[in-house]
Formats: sequence, structure tokens, C-alpha cells
Amino acid sequence: MKLKNSGITFITILLSLFIGGIIIAMLGYNPLNAYLNLFKGAFVGKLNFGTTIEKFVPLLLTGLAFIISSKVSVFNVGVEGELYLGAIAAAWVGYSIKGLSGPLHIGLCFLVAMLVGAIWAAIPGALKAYWKVNEVCVTILMNYVAIFFTSYLVNGPLSAKTGIPQTPAVADNALLLKILKPSRANIGLFIAITLVIFFYWFFKYTTLGYKLRSVGLNSSFSDYLGIDSKRNMLYGMMISGAVGGIAGAIEVLGIYGYFLDSFSPGIAFDGMIAALIAKNDIRLLPIFAFFLATLKSGALGMERFTGVPKSIIDTIIAMFIIFVAMEGIIKFADKRGLKFKRIKMMEKN
Amino acid sequence: MFEILSNIFDHTLIYATIRSSIPLVFAALAAVITQQADILNIGVEGIMLMGAFAAVTTSFLTGSWLLALIVAMLVGLLFAIIMGIAHLKYKADIFVIGTAINMLALALTRFLLSSILKTSGSFYSDKIVGFPKIHFDILEKNKYLNDILNNYSLLEIIGIIMVFIMSYVLYRTVWGLRLRSVGLFPMAAETAGINVFRMKFQAILCSGLLGGMAGAHLSLGYSKLFAENMTNGRGFMGVAAMFFGAANPVLSAIGCFIFGLSDSIGARLQSYGFSSQFVLMIPYLFTVAVLAVSMFRHIKKEQKAKSSLSSIEYKSFGFLRFILREKNTKLR
Repeated sequence: MKLKNSGITFITILLSLFIGGIIIAMLGYNPLNAYLNLFKGAFVGKLNFGTTIEKFVPLLLTGLAFIISSKVSVFNVGVEGELYLGAIAAAWVGYSIKGLSGPLHIGLCFLVAMLVGAIWAAIPGALKAYWKVNEVCVTILMNYVAIFFTSYLVNGPLSAKTGIPQTPAVADNALLLKILKPSRANIGLFIAITLVIFFYWFFKYTTLGYKLRSVGLNSSFSDYLGIDSKRNMLYGMMISGAVGGIAGAIEVLGIYGYFLDSFSPGIAFDGMIAALIAKNDIRLLPIFAFFLATLKSGALGMERFTGVPKSIIDTIIAMFIIFVAMEGIIKFADKRGLKFKRIKMMEKN
Repeated sequence: MFEILSNIFDHTLIYATIRSSIPLVFAALAAVITQQADILNIGVEGIMLMGAFAAVTTSFLTGSWLLALIVAMLVGLLFAIIMGIAHLKYKADIFVIGTAINMLALALTRFLLSSILKTSGSFYSDKIVGFPKIHFDILEKNKYLNDILNNYSLLEIIGIIMVFIMSYVLYRTVWGLRLRSVGLFPMAAETAGINVFRMKFQAILCSGLLGGMAGAHLSLGYSKLFAENMTNGRGFMGVAAMFFGAANPVLSAIGCFIFGLSDSIGARLQSYGFSSQFVLMIPYLFTVAVLAVSMFRHIKKEQKAKSSLSSIEYKSFGFLRFILREKNTKLR
């Protein structure tokens, strides 16, 4: 996906908003008013804008984690599990260690979360790299294991014993600084943006980044060049897991202040969607993650002020994804391009 | 301790296991048929949810379970058509489409629940007619037979029969052979005159019908209500069972029964105050282990085949090598 092709994606955004507008009109509401309130609900006022930012950060990070693993051609559906384990690791370090200074404590939380995420992601990564086990299946299954495991921990050994399945609150100096005060947005935003920029640089300008990309594009060629494709695939997956762990740590240290049982309503799946719409381009990821976050946080305001149900927005998002995925539908492909594509596909088979 | 154990592992566990695994069996079959055509159908979850909603709504409005089943299957078919067109005609990534279908189903059912049935969260009414239960009076006399074999919902029996029908269709009919050949090697199938596009589309359509049935069973047979996100990962578990059984209907169904068994044991353990999470985890870990071991053996076999090949090479070309070595030493 080159940047110039992204115009098509923007056309699909407009198209699906248009179809959504028709549905809203058919229900007897004013679509323009609904969209206006959606916009207001996402941007006007500190609380609303903060909520958008709060939803944007995990989307961005989980999307980034997904993109990193796809660079080594591993389809990592397991970011959700890494998110959960990273979150509980950060919460554990956050409340059990006392007497550290703020930045050091936060750093330690992040480090442990990254480590746990990386180790968890290394399992499907190694299975895929060395034994060619289908990573989609393994990661889906391991998500359940991770969620059950954290649920066990939070109900048993790490419970705050308050009746609610959650860990004790994290020490105050380990919490991330809040920005836009009434909302729960925090400096995790800057961490996330820094990471996105870092990984863009990493894949474009560093040797390891080049190796990872090379393994993803053609693993046998990489082996021929002397790049160990298996080991690099594992590295890519572990980096992806570490980023997933960071996403979880930010959720705990920035937003909740403790680990809550099954706190994520499929955050990583939304992040994966953002990554897929961006066609694994790190530059486009923030735009689409922000777009999804806007829709999600604005939908609440829209429902409150116009009565248009929030689920309409989710329907629009789903439709939008289907449209974006159908590459052929908008491209008025010239026949040569199509033929070329078909030949390429046949070669692939 | 022994008393608790005997309470958990008594003969009613069989009934509980079958009940909780049949929804998975349908989902697994829906995943099996597309997997045989080399399509990983993640959208089973969404199709199931739509089916469940359509079945409850139809049953509530018309009072006919048969009509409800048919409508649920048609809705499943409709979603399958969307998936098929997007994936096969417009070359969309099947995983993206599957995820989108799941999202769409979740949002759409939530929306329709509020606009048609005027509630949110869950919907229950006395007017919902569930699937009939099969009851044999003869079995009533024996306590064990009555507990194990009686009072199944209609679709639970159909589900078990379906496994064998599917197995027959896939391995004993021309259509099944063609479908599997399309999945194994599309180009060869194309060369043999099989329309790959049509076969794959048919597989997706069958999957939609099965997914619709799965949903209808979940909302009218397994329970008699509709709740938001009531599938709750069952579609994914079906896909996992499919992987467990390597896309073989019978083995996949066995996988479903293992999931169902651990689910029922987990539920019973929980009522005795044990943490059920570890029991619930077992089937997932087990599936990962099975996948890993089977792939490991596959690779070892390949390596062995390769090394025996090279040894044959060595034997047959040994003489030549000998000459070459002689030459080399002479040259030195």
C-alpha cells in the first residue's frame, strides 16, 4: 500500500458514512444533526476530547503491535492476551513494590509488562517459526488462556479482597500523569506516539528492522542472504508482544489505576482493524486509529443528544471495514493490472 | 473430597457435556466445510449471533420453531453471501471480512434488539417457542437411561447426525472430493476442470447455513432467550475444535466434546468454590499442544524423508563420488 492509494480508503470512509447517513435518515433522524453531535461528542469540551484520546492510545498501540508482527509475516491475533498479561504484570509491580521514586517505578512497571508480553508472544512465535504451527489459531486460543489466567489471579492470589475482581490500587507515584483533567487521558499518549515514530524509524533505517522486513517479504531469500529467518521471525513476534504489553501497562497505570477482571472489550481487535485498514503502513495507522477512536467516543454523545442508537456507529464501522477490504470494488482496475495480479496469484499458489 | 468428586463426575455429566458441546459442534462443522476449501472462516461467530437473533425474533412473532429455524438459516446464508462476494469476487482478506462480519453482527443485533424487540441487553418472553424436546416414555423407567438418553432438544440429535452426514459428504461423494481438491491445490483442480470459484462459494454458503442452524440452536434449543453477544466466543471455539480435528468432521466433533466436558466440569467445580479458570483453560492449552505436536511430527517426518532421500542419492551416486574424489586427489 503506497500513500497515494490511501485516497481510495478516504473515499470508502465517505461512502460508508454516506450509507450510514441513509440508514439514520431511514430511522427518522436527521443524519447531519447526528453527525454534528458525533463530532461534538468527540472533540468539543475537555472531557469529550479526553475520552477520544483515552480510546485512541490503546488502539494505536495494539495496532502497532499487530503491524510489527505482520512485518515478519505473522498474523498476530494474540495482542489481546498480551494486553491482559502486560496489564496485570504492570498492576502487580505497581502495587507490590513500594518506596521507589516515580519515574523508576513507572519504568519498572513498563519493563515487566514488556517482558511478560514478549515471553507470551514468543510461544506462538516460536511455534510458527520452528514448527510452522498456524499462528492465527494458536494466538486465538492463547487469548482465552491469558484472559482465564488473569481472571484466576485477580480472583485469587492478586485480589484486593473487596468483592470486586480487581487488584489493589497501584502506588500513587507509579500512576501516569493525567492530561485534560476531568477525563482519564494521560501521558500514555506521548509514549504511544513516540513508539510509533520509533518503529517507523526502526523498520526503515536500522539493520534489525531491515532484517525483519526481509524475513517477512521472503524468508527463503533471507536465509540465502544469511539472515536467520526463524530467529528473526521470533524476534519480530517478541517485539510485537512487548508493545502489546506496553498497551496493557498504560491502561492500568494511566486509566484504571488497578487491574480489573476482563477490562478490555476487545480493544486489541479494534486495534487490529485499524492496522488492517491502514494496510500495515505505520504512517497511516495513527490516522485510522484516531478515526475509529473518534467514532467510538463520539457515538456516546450522539446517542445522548439525538437519540440515534450507538450501535449504528458500530454498524457503520463494520460496513466500512468490509468496503475497505474489498480492494477491487472501487479500483476501476485497468485490465493489465488485473491480469498481472492474477498471474502473481497463480505464482503464489 | 471423594463425595464432591463423585458428585462432579456422575452420570449426569454426560448429558451436561452433550448439551454444552452441540452449539460448538455446529460451529465447528461450519468451520470444517470452509477449511476443506482452504478458507479460514472466522465469521462463524457473527453468523451464529445473527442466526440466534433471527430465530428468536421469528419464533416470538410467528410462534413457529420450524419457521424460526428456516429464517435463521436464511440469515446465515445472507451473511455467507456477503462474505463470499467480498472474499472471492473482490479479493478481500478472509480474516478481515470475518472480523468485520463479527463486528457487524454484534452491532446489528444490538441495534435490532432495541428497534424491533424494544429492549436492550437481553430478550425473554413466554411467546418464544423453543425447539421440541425428544422424549421417550420407555426410557423413563430406568433412572440412568432416562438421565443420559432422554430429553434432548431436536437440534442436538440433528447435530450429531450432521457430523456423520458431513463426514460422508466430504469423503464419500464427488462433490466432497472436488471440494477437498480445491482446498488442497486450486490450480490442479482448475486444470482438472473444476470451477474453483464456484466450489469455494458453495462451501461458504453451506457454512452460512450451518452457522444459522448453530445460532438457532443456541437461542431456541440450548436456551430460550436472546442476549447481546450470547455466542460469547463459541464460534471461535468451533474454529479451535476444527483445528483440533484437522478439519475432519468426526475428530472436530470430538474436540467439541472435550471443550464441552471441561466446560461442564468447570461449572460444577465453581459451585463447590474451586476456581474454575484452570479447568476452563485446559481445552485451549490441550489444543495448542495437539497442534504443536502434530506439526512437529509432520516436520520430523519431512526431515526423515529428506535425509533418506539424500542417502539414496549417496548410494546411487556413490560410485561417481568415488571417482570424483580420486580425480580430486590426483589433481592435488
